[in-house]
Amino acid sequence: MLGELINPYYLQVSSFILINIILAVSIYITLGTGQLSLGHAGFMSIGAYTTAILTLNYNMPLVLGVIIAAIVTGIVGTLIGIPALRLQGVYLAIATLGFGEVVRVLFINWDGLTNGAIGLSGIPHLGREIFNLSKSMGIEPDMFGLKNNQFISLAVFFVLLIITISVIWFFVRQNNSRIGRAFSAIKMDEEASEAMGINITYYKVLAFGQGAMLAGFAGALYAHLMAYISPSDFDYHRAVEILIFSIFGGSEVIWGSIFGAVFLSAMPEFLRFINEYRFMIYGALLVLMMAFRPQGIIDVNMMNRFKRLMPKKRGEKKHGTGNKEDQ
Amino acid sequence: MLIEQLINGLTLGSIYVIVALGYTLVFGVLNVVNMGHGEIFMFGAFMGVVVTNILGWPLYIAFVVAIVVTGILGYFLETFALRPLRGKEGVSHLAPLISTIGVSIFLENVAHHFFGSGNQPFRTSLSELKFVLGSTTVYYVQIIIFVIAILLMFGLTFWLSKTKAGKALRASAENLAVASLLGVNTKRTITQTVIIASAMGGIAGILVGIAFNSVNPQMGLSFGLKGLAIIILGGLGNVRGAMVGGLILGMAETFIVAYGDSGYRDAVAFIAIIVILIVRPQGIFGTATTGRKG
Amino acid sequence: MVLEIKKISKNFGGIQALTDVSFSVEEGEILGLIGPNGAGKTTMFNMITAMYPPSSGVISFVGNPLSNLKPHQITEKGICRTFQNIRLFSDLTVRENVMVGNHCRLKTNVMQSVLRTKAQKAEEARVLATSDEILEVVGLANDKETIAKNLSYGAQRRLEIARALASRPKLILLDEPAAGMNEKETNDLFNLIKKIQTLNITVLLIEHDMPLVMRVCSRIIVLNFGKKIAEGTPSSIQNNKEVIEAYLGVEEEDELA
Repeated sequence: MLGELINPYYLQVSSFILINIILAVSIYITLGTGQLSLGHAGFMSIGAYTTAILTLNYNMPLVLGVIIAAIVTGIVGTLIGIPALRLQGVYLAIATLGFGEVVRVLFINWDGLTNGAIGLSGIPHLGREIFNLSKSMGIEPDMFGLKNNQFISLAVFFVLLIITISVIWFFVRQNNSRIGRAFSAIKMDEEASEAMGINITYYKVLAFGQGAMLAGFAGALYAHLMAYISPSDFDYHRAVEILIFSIFGGSEVIWGSIFGAVFLSAMPEFLRFINEYRFMIYGALLVLMMAFRPQGIIDVNMMNRFKRLMPKKRGEKKHGTGNKEDQ
Repeated sequence: MLIEQLINGLTLGSIYVIVALGYTLVFGVLNVVNMGHGEIFMFGAFMGVVVTNILGWPLYIAFVVAIVVTGILGYFLETFALRPLRGKEGVSHLAPLISTIGVSIFLENVAHHFFGSGNQPFRTSLSELKFVLGSTTVYYVQIIIFVIAILLMFGLTFWLSKTKAGKALRASAENLAVASLLGVNTKRTITQTVIIASAMGGIAGILVGIAFNSVNPQMGLSFGLKGLAIIILGGLGNVRGAMVGGLILGMAETFIVAYGDSGYRDAVAFIAIIVILIVRPQGIFGTATTGRKG
Repeated sequence: MVLEIKKISKNFGGIQALTDVSFSVEEGEILGLIGPNGAGKTTMFNMITAMYPPSSGVISFVGNPLSNLKPHQITEKGICRTFQNIRLFSDLTVRENVMVGNHCRLKTNVMQSVLRTKAQKAEEARVLATSDEILEVVGLANDKETIAKNLSYGAQRRLEIARALASRPKLILLDEPAAGMNEKETNDLFNLIKKIQTLNITVLLIEHDMPLVMRVCSRIIVLNFGKKIAEGTPSSIQNNKEVIEAYLGVEEEDELA
C-alpha cells in the first residue's frame, strides 16, 4: 500500500531541498545581472521573522503571513538595491555582507520582538495547518491509508513542490523574454547594454528586488517548516551556502542553480560522514570552481547540447572559431 | 574613565589597523579583496594559543610561529585561489572574491575541526600586568599592542617608500603590466605581498588573543568584516586611509560599548560602511574614479 | 541637421582630449570622422552617447540638446553606436544580440512576459522578424544560432552594426568598423554602409582605412590633438596640407589595419 512507501523523513529532507531550490533561484536572479549579494541570508531572515511575528503575535493566517513577508522583503531589497547600484562588484558584495550582519545583530538585540539570540519557537507549522484545513474539509489521512505524520509530510512536500515549480516557471518565462535578455546583456557588459538602450538602473534594481523577495519568501516558508528560528540560522554560512548552490551548479542557467541546490543538499543524506566536513568541502569547491569551471557544472553549452538531443529541434550550423582579439 | 576608554579604543583601533593593512596591501596590488584574510588572522591567533598554552613556550616564539604559519597560508591562498584566475580570459571580476570566500569558509571549518568551536583562553604572564596612573589603569599588553601597531605602520610605510621591493610593489599597484615591462618580477611581488599581508594578519591575531584572552574560529569572520569596513571607510588600497579608519572604528566601538548599547557594537562598522558607500562610494580618503577614455 | 556639435571640449584630469570642436551631421549623409590615434574621435562618440558629459559645449540631436540624458535614453532618441574594441554580448547567440539591440523599442513588462499575453507574443514575433531582417541586411542570416564569440572577427564587427541597427536609429555611429578586416570584408563593409544609407539612416564613421573613408564618405571632418583641423569633401581633404602633415608623422599606424 501507499502507506509503506512513504517515509516522512525523506519527505522532510525533500521539503528542505525544495526551499533550497527557491534560495538558489533567488541568488541566481541577482547574479544574473552581475550583482554578487552576500545579503541573501539577511533577506531570508527578514522573511522568516516577519511571518513568524505576524502569525505568532497577531494570529495572522499562515498564508497571509508568508505573502506579507515576501512583500516586506521585496521592499527592503529594493530599498537596498537602489543605493547598491552605485556600487560595483566588490563594494556591493561587502555592503550586502554588512547588511546581512546588521540584520542579524538587529534580530539578536531586538529582544522584545524577536526573543534575541534564543529565537522564536512555536511558529505555526505548515503541516499542521494543512492537516487542520483538510480535516475541516472532511479529508482524513486514513482515507489514503496513511498515518497522520505521513499525510502531513506528504502534504507539505506537495504544497512546496507546487510552489517551487511555480517559482521556476515564473523565472524561466521571465528569462525567455525581453526582461531576461536585458538581464543577461547587463551581466556580460553593463556599458554596452546601456549603449544599446537598456535602462540598467531599472533592471538591476528589479533583479536585486526580485532576488531579495524570493529569499524572503523562502525564509518565510523555512520558518513555517521548522516552527523555530533563531538569528544563527541566517548567518554568514547561510549566505555562502546559498551562493554556492548557484556557483557550483551553474550561475548562467537557472537549471544549473537548481541542480546545485539539489545536489549539495542531498549529498550529505547519502554520504553521512560528509556532513561534518560540509563547509570545508564547500570552501574547497568554491576555490576549485573558480579555477577550473567558473560558470558552474551546468552551463549554456551543456544546456544547448541537451536541447539538441531533444526531438524536433532543428540542427544548428556552426562555423568560425574564436579569434577575438583584444585591442 | 574617559581616558581609560580612550586607551581601550586606541588599542582596539591599532589591532583593526593591522588587520585592515593586510586587506589594503593585497587590494593595492591585485585589485582583489581577499576575503580569506580574516581566517588567516584567526589562524595566527590559534598559533599563539597552541605555542603558549599547549606547548608552554614563550610568547616571542608564538609570534615567530604565527608569522611563519600565516605566511605559508598566504602563499597557499595566492597559489590556489588567486594565481589560477589571473590573466585568464573571460574571468569575471567577482571570481577572486568568490574563491577567497571559499578559502575563508574552508579555513574557518578546518579550525573548527581541530580546535573546536568554543573559546580558547590565551593566557600569558603578561595579561595581568598593569600599572595605575592617577585614576586610570593601564595594562602593559595595551602598550605592547599599540607599540607593535605603530612599528608595523612605520615599518610598512618605510618599506613601501624606501626599499626596492617596496617600490616594486608600489609600481605593481600602479599598473601590473607596466611594472612587468619595467622589469619588476610581478609574480614574485604579488606572492611577496600576499605573504606579508597574511603575516601581518598573524601578528594581529596574536595581539587580539592577548588583548581579549579568547580565541575562537568565528573571530576571523568578525574581525575580517571589520577590516573590510575599515578599508571601505579609508578607500580601497589606501594605506593611510586604513590607519585612520581603523583608529576611528576602534574608538567608535569602544565608546558605543561604554556609553551606549554593547549589543550593537558589531553593527557600528557596517552601518558606517553602508552610509559611506551611499554618500561617498570611494571612501573617505579615496579619489573618485574618472571616466574611461576610449 | 541631424546632429549638431557645438564648441565641445573635454578634459580628463588635466589632459585636454578635445578643444572647442564644432561640426554638424546632415540628414542622410555619411560623414567621416578621421584623425591620427589619440585625436579624440572615440571621446567624441562617448560624449554623443552620454557615456560621459562634455566639459563644455552642447550636443543637439534633431534640434534638441542632449544634456542630462543617460546612455539608454540617447539610444531611445535614435542614436546608436558600435564599439572600436568589439563589445558584443559574447555568450549570447547572434540573433539574441540583435534582439537585445531592439530592447528599447519593446514595451512588455514582467507580468506580461511571465503570463505570455497576446501583446507579448505579438511583440516577440515582431522582434524575431526584425532581427532576422537585420541579420539578412548585414549578411549574417546563416549564423543566427551561433554564439557571438565564435564568429570570425569580421563577422563580429558586422554583428555590432546589426545590433546597433536593431535599435532603429536615425543616426548610427560606427567606431572603426573596418579594423582587422581583410580586403574582401572591407569591400562588403563598404556595401553595407551604403545599404544603411538607403535605409534612411545617417552615418557618422570613425575609420583609419583611408581608401574606404574616401570611397564611402560624402564629407569628412579631421581631428588632430583634440582640435578640428579640416572639414570638406574627400578630395579636398586629400589635398589639405595640414591634414597631410598630421598624418605623415604617424603613417606607419595605418599599416596595422
